[in-house]
Amino acid sequence: MSNNILDFSMNRCTSVRAIDTTRLKSECTLRDSFTDARVEIIVAMPDLTISSVTGHFHHAWLRESDTLGPVFDKLVDVRVGPGMLKIIKGLVGEAEHLKELTYMVEECCHGVILSLTKKVLLKAPDDEAAKADFYSNMVMESIRLYDRCAAFAKGTPLVEGYERRNP
Amino acid sequence: MLEFMRSKRVSVARKDPETFSIQAELDDSIYSLGLSLRVRIRDLKCLSIKGEWRRWTTPECPRALGFLDQAEGFILGPGIEDRIHKTLGRNACRHFANLLIECAQVAQATQKMVQWEQAKESAPDLTLKAFMAGNGSKRPGLTAGGDGVPDSREGSGERPGIQVVENQGQPVPVPEKPERNNDNKLGLTPGNGFMVDLHIHTFPASACASDSAGAMVAAARERGLDALCLTDHNHVWPQRAVDSLMDHLNFRIFRGNEIMTDQGDMLVFGFDQAIETVIKLKELADLVERAKGFMIAAHPFRGFLTFGTGQLGLTPQKAMEREMFNHVHAMETLNGKVTQKENLLAAQVAEGLGLPCTGGSDAHDVSSVGRYATRFNDALASEQALVEALRSGACAPVSFFT
Ligand SMILES: [Zn+2]
Repeated sequence: MSNNILDFSMNRCTSVRAIDTTRLKSECTLRDSFTDARVEIIVAMPDLTISSVTGHFHHAWLRESDTLGPVFDKLVDVRVGPGMLKIIKGLVGEAEHLKELTYMVEECCHGVILSLTKKVLLKAPDDEAAKADFYSNMVMESIRLYDRCAAFAKGTPLVEGYERRNP
Repeated sequence: MLEFMRSKRVSVARKDPETFSIQAELDDSIYSLGLSLRVRIRDLKCLSIKGEWRRWTTPECPRALGFLDQAEGFILGPGIEDRIHKTLGRNACRHFANLLIECAQVAQATQKMVQWEQAKESAPDLTLKAFMAGNGSKRPGLTAGGDGVPDSREGSGERPGIQVVENQGQPVPVPEKPERNNDNKLGLTPGNGFMVDLHIHTFPASACASDSAGAMVAAARERGLDALCLTDHNHVWPQRAVDSLMDHLNFRIFRGNEIMTDQGDMLVFGFDQAIETVIKLKELADLVERAKGFMIAAHPFRGFLTFGTGQLGLTPQKAMEREMFNHVHAMETLNGKVTQKENLLAAQVAEGLGLPCTGGSDAHDVSSVGRYATRFNDALASEQALVEALRSGACAPVSFFT
């Protein structure tokens, strides 16, 4: 009870690698007290469409998915970007044993987007004032960031410029 | 070469017989953060939550910590994901929300583990599989979030029964002197012609919209449009309901449908079939063709040029190669919910492919009704006439109201 031994452990790792200049490979592995699963997607650039999905899923009580091929094939040609979550869920369906796999595909897609985000963020200057300008400009150029989190909330410093321009 | 890596670790120990102690960490190439929770085992109520930033990006990210206590009192059971996205995700930071969702999933799984252990006290041979089979293995739907590109408001969710809702005296914000806007960089300058907003959402037919069809029509009329088209998500409007609205409001209303496909959203006209779930584009194209309907790629480049993904060098020539454009009759090149750059790319691609172009506000509330519209040469008296005019290509997108 209070022996400090863990009741449950979960470890999820998502990694994105460039296969070549036109393809990214994004892989998500999940190991927890019940699950051992892996999903890998390959995404074609520059329009970020999924060209293949593979993986496996073993679980302590949910149905083992030994015929995942047809499920994964449905996701080929889906584009990684806004709106993808509803499309992926809609195509895969709501079967109990597929929910975790759907989530892992989504994690792979988020990994792809974050790998591209990282490239932009690397351009942020070190100097604090210049850094604030950099992020202020970012909101100005990407209205979808406005009021979507604490850093870009209405009335906060980084969105002042945007709000002045769009009263 | 490794471009990005994210590791998430969640562990649960029992602090006392009543309480889980959950430690969680998210560490990736951009962010590093932690959460520490106390959760009541019985009902998975979040008793306390503490967060910590280790690495972050903007100078304002630390503000997120002040909003984490919004999760105190949450029952971290099935179905909590949406609430976490809408509170922590929006007010704090989507990466904290993402990690809290992992904590909720793990708390639910650990609760099952504890229940199985308790059951084994009276039935030592009870396997986990047998226990779960007896107790149901329902798990909640998962939503990853944390994508760096907030998902659009678009989409159909659960929706109440559809009924014709009149504008019940609610004020419709309209300009004092409605004027047609001549500042039109991407479409034609509005002049004479029949102006239709071809892309409108209404509540409750679209769960993500907030104003009724009656209110949207009132705004359209005030702003000088000649007609509008109801294009609620995966929703077929009954002709009778639309006829009744037209009679009541004395305004031309057409029926359309915005259908979600594996290749994005499609606006379809002259097509009455109810499509309840995501459909393959090719399949939809066949159905629409058989019905002699018309299909437009809605906001075809929405999000293609957003933060992070806009630097990939997607040229109009490259974008033209997208196979999906072989299956549509036209492209929406003025959409009120995307950036100017994304509309411009759509216009360049449509021009390159020789596809007709349309415009629509994609309004989800009265404020943006008529932002963009489609101009037809002649007045359109029926849906059949609309489809024929679209098929003839005698239409053009216009910037109509600002
Ligand atoms: Zn729409």
